Amino acid sequence: MKQKILPYLLLAPMMLIMGVLVFYPIAATFSYSLKKWKLTAPGDIRFIGFDNYKNILKSESFWYSLQNTLFLLVLVVVATSILGVLVSLFLNIQVKGAGILLAVAVLPWALPPYVNGILWRFVFHSGYGFMNKVLIGLGMVDKPVEWLTSRWMLLVVVAIVVVWRSVPFMALVCLAGRQSIPHGLYEAAKIDGAGTFQIFRRITFPLMLPFIGIGITSTSVTAVNVFDEIVALSGYSDMGKNILVESYLTTFTFLDFGKGSAVTYLVMFVAAILGVFYLKSLNKEVEY
Amino acid sequence: MKYLKKTGYIVSLLVFLFLVLGPFIWTFVISVTPEYAMFAKTTDLLPEVVTFDNYMEIFSGGRRGGLILTGIVNSLKAVATTLIVGIPVCMLSAYALSRMEFKGRNLIRNLLLITMVIPVMATIIPLFRLFVARELLDNVFWLSLVYVSSYLPLITWLMSDYFATIPKELEEAAWIDGCGRMNTFFRIIVPASYPIILSAALIMFLNTWNQFQIPLILASSLETKPIAIVVSEFMTKDSVQYGLTAAAGIIAVIPPAVTALIFRRFLISGMMGGAVKG
Amino acid sequence: MKKKLASILLVVSMCAAMIAGCGKEEKSEKPKEDKGDSITLMAPDWAIPTDDQLASFTDETGIKVDVNEVGWDDIREKLATAASGGQAVADVVEVDWSWVGEFYAADWLEPLEVSEEDKADMPTLETFTKEDKVLAIPYANDYRLSYYNTEQFKAAGVTEEPQTWDDVLEACRKLKSTGTVDYPFAIALNAEEKTSTCLMWLAYAMNGVVWNEDGTLNEESVMEALKYMETLVKEELVAPEDKTSSGMDAYKRLTGGSASFLTGPTSFVSRSTNEEECSVVGQITPILMPGKEAKSEVTMALPEGLGVTKFSENKEAAKKFVEWYTSADMQKELNASNSAIPTRNSVLKSLVEDGTIKNAGAMMDEAERIVSPFPNGIPAYYAEMSSAMYNAINKMALGEMTAEEAFEDMNAKITELVEQE
Repeated sequence: MKQKILPYLLLAPMMLIMGVLVFYPIAATFSYSLKKWKLTAPGDIRFIGFDNYKNILKSESFWYSLQNTLFLLVLVVVATSILGVLVSLFLNIQVKGAGILLAVAVLPWALPPYVNGILWRFVFHSGYGFMNKVLIGLGMVDKPVEWLTSRWMLLVVVAIVVVWRSVPFMALVCLAGRQSIPHGLYEAAKIDGAGTFQIFRRITFPLMLPFIGIGITSTSVTAVNVFDEIVALSGYSDMGKNILVESYLTTFTFLDFGKGSAVTYLVMFVAAILGVFYLKSLNKEVEY
Repeated sequence: MKYLKKTGYIVSLLVFLFLVLGPFIWTFVISVTPEYAMFAKTTDLLPEVVTFDNYMEIFSGGRRGGLILTGIVNSLKAVATTLIVGIPVCMLSAYALSRMEFKGRNLIRNLLLITMVIPVMATIIPLFRLFVARELLDNVFWLSLVYVSSYLPLITWLMSDYFATIPKELEEAAWIDGCGRMNTFFRIIVPASYPIILSAALIMFLNTWNQFQIPLILASSLETKPIAIVVSEFMTKDSVQYGLTAAAGIIAVIPPAVTALIFRRFLISGMMGGAVKG
Repeated sequence: MKKKLASILLVVSMCAAMIAGCGKEEKSEKPKEDKGDSITLMAPDWAIPTDDQLASFTDETGIKVDVNEVGWDDIREKLATAASGGQAVADVVEVDWSWVGEFYAADWLEPLEVSEEDKADMPTLETFTKEDKVLAIPYANDYRLSYYNTEQFKAAGVTEEPQTWDDVLEACRKLKSTGTVDYPFAIALNAEEKTSTCLMWLAYAMNGVVWNEDGTLNEESVMEALKYMETLVKEELVAPEDKTSSGMDAYKRLTGGSASFLTGPTSFVSRSTNEEECSVVGQITPILMPGKEAKSEVTMALPEGLGVTKFSENKEAAKKFVEWYTSADMQKELNASNSAIPTRNSVLKSLVEDGTIKNAGAMMDEAERIVSPFPNGIPAYYAEMSSAMYNAINKMALGEMTAEEAFEDMNAKITELVEQE
């Protein structure tokens, strides 16, 4: 009998922590989202059901932000995955000092996101930022390029910044995946006369897949939740905002806690769809 | 062929170093540029005059300097607490979820994973009200608990995967010898898990170091302000001191960088699984 | 069996540690309800008095002050979050002028008593008054003042100080065509708060009005200001990066030598004489803001103040602190220690006259022209209004909208906000 409750005992701390610090707040936020609650009208807090949600889904502003979010998501996930795998293969090469390279690869991850944003703002400054200095110096353009003044350019720059800081984790995870593949498989393949690409396609890639899956899930969550970088690069402007910025604006700038909570819930909803999708595909993969 | 491979490697190496270290070098350049030359219209990469004033200010013990050091200490405290609480909780949970059979196992596991997608904003307001009501604000312990709650899914996932690669035979042999379940856990599983523990610790370190939104709301008094917030406060609405911010940024990167360097061997060995150790 | 006990112990000890951690910290938490009065002050670093000053306050009144230094941008967020839970984030708190409307509507500030003579001495108090209630007392006097680079103007052949906005435009055109300065006009165009205030003071200086009595935009005045801004952008008299860099960076082009005209914060009076911040020291003169036909009769103030929160449990002590902080003597001291520009005209005058504030130029004269452009005080929907304004202006600057379209966009949103009130 003691055996039967042991698992629950072991899980108790986790469930306590998650229950109090995650599930309860989510439930509370949901209840806020069902109310009309503007801080500037404290006498007028009442239950309005799903009106907040209806209003948001009708607003142009929300769909615009959603578009930005999805654009960023695709760009960031694709770029990070490809670069992550490439970097992991590079780091896999057994050279003296490969360990140090590994530590170097982790550095972008170590930079606080806000500083990250500021730094890249300098690189892509519309005046004589680093990028422009290089481009003009190489003679590729005559006048400084205005990086942050058009929506899609801005989003691409944001994507670059997010990719830069997400690749380390992806590369790490992929490297772990790569190095957990037993050598024996490779030797056998070589004996059978397989070429480099074949080896990659048949052995390396499939066996790395579970790890790549972890990386992609984590990166997707990061991509949907980009906030600091967008603010550092373009403030709270309408142009580059994604749904998280929209949620922040509604809640903290416009002090509409009811509506803001609803926007946050919608953000969660979008992210959850991704989560379920990945979980399903992952559970399939693990059974290899 | 060999030369081709070698040059290929060297080229990749250079590209890699440039892309990874470039921004840091640039940040350093900014940190030694005098304020008035920040936006000068030249194509020169380096400023004409180099000043170390920013670093002097940080280390001279002035108010700003003290602030930065306090921020670093606070961040370190948060990291330590997070590790002390987080690692055991994750290990126990991962063990239960991966090596034990019980009702509701899949449900709990999936619930846990789903929480990965929850953005900070969804929980921060109720959390704040809870903390205020119970006077838990500006408390490193509770702050770390919040961090732990956000890492639990990922770390538990990684640990479960790792445990799955520890051969069942090892455990079974111990049971046959008369060890109880938990005894086996401590005697066999834990020692075999050092790699993943270290990987998990490093991941937690780096993520805690970067925490911004949570401490912004829950812990912004001087006693608990982490370095990420301190650095952001150098940018106020009226005076953005780019040089100082850049210098502070460089300094903020040093602890995690040094740690990563020292423990580099363990960065991925944990995630690789126990199979390789055999 | 033994080890199962160990595992249970582990779990129990962790729970105990959690509770202990919570309990321990609670006790070592700063004792909240003191017998001896103690108050908390939440303000950005530039507002925090020195330890000596605080000590003298405590000596005088017996009230202890706990300082909570928080970045300016974060104060509002914290205030909002705390207030939503019915809590005071501090007893005395920074109140920026733009927050007054919403704080009043949300009922977060305690009305303060101010004597008539103090009201006369501090014209910026008007900004913090709603419906005859004074919600905060200003301590930092930022108002709009114009500056121009006399050397650069001379080099382009303009020897007279500009009196009207047309003069400025002409001068800028000359500066550009003679090649003296490429982008002579410094103004904020990014999608941020400063851009909204730029539109405000421009319309205000041109026509003395920005909003109608009912709170909607005055079409004639605002359109004129927008068109002026559009002209600046079209003729490339503003730098391209001003469209996306922070407002402060745009302003700083003046002290960096790459702009010749700025209408901006009073802080530039001292900035322009500081060699660390200015590469053209000695060339910049503060002047009265230009107007349409002659110099502008009015200017706008963007002050910061200190207020007492409604949820505070030490209101009397907090009020004493605010009074002390904004007294004439303290304003003098704070100018020395924090570079704060005093909000009492009497103090400002004496500091200019005895030379503490250098290169004041027209600063004193301008201070006497401070009037609030808001017909009914700062509105509760200020944040949303400002967001509508700066986004529209920014789009116009980027060429995505004409001035007319920008006005339509702003107007529609603001009218909606007014109607919701």
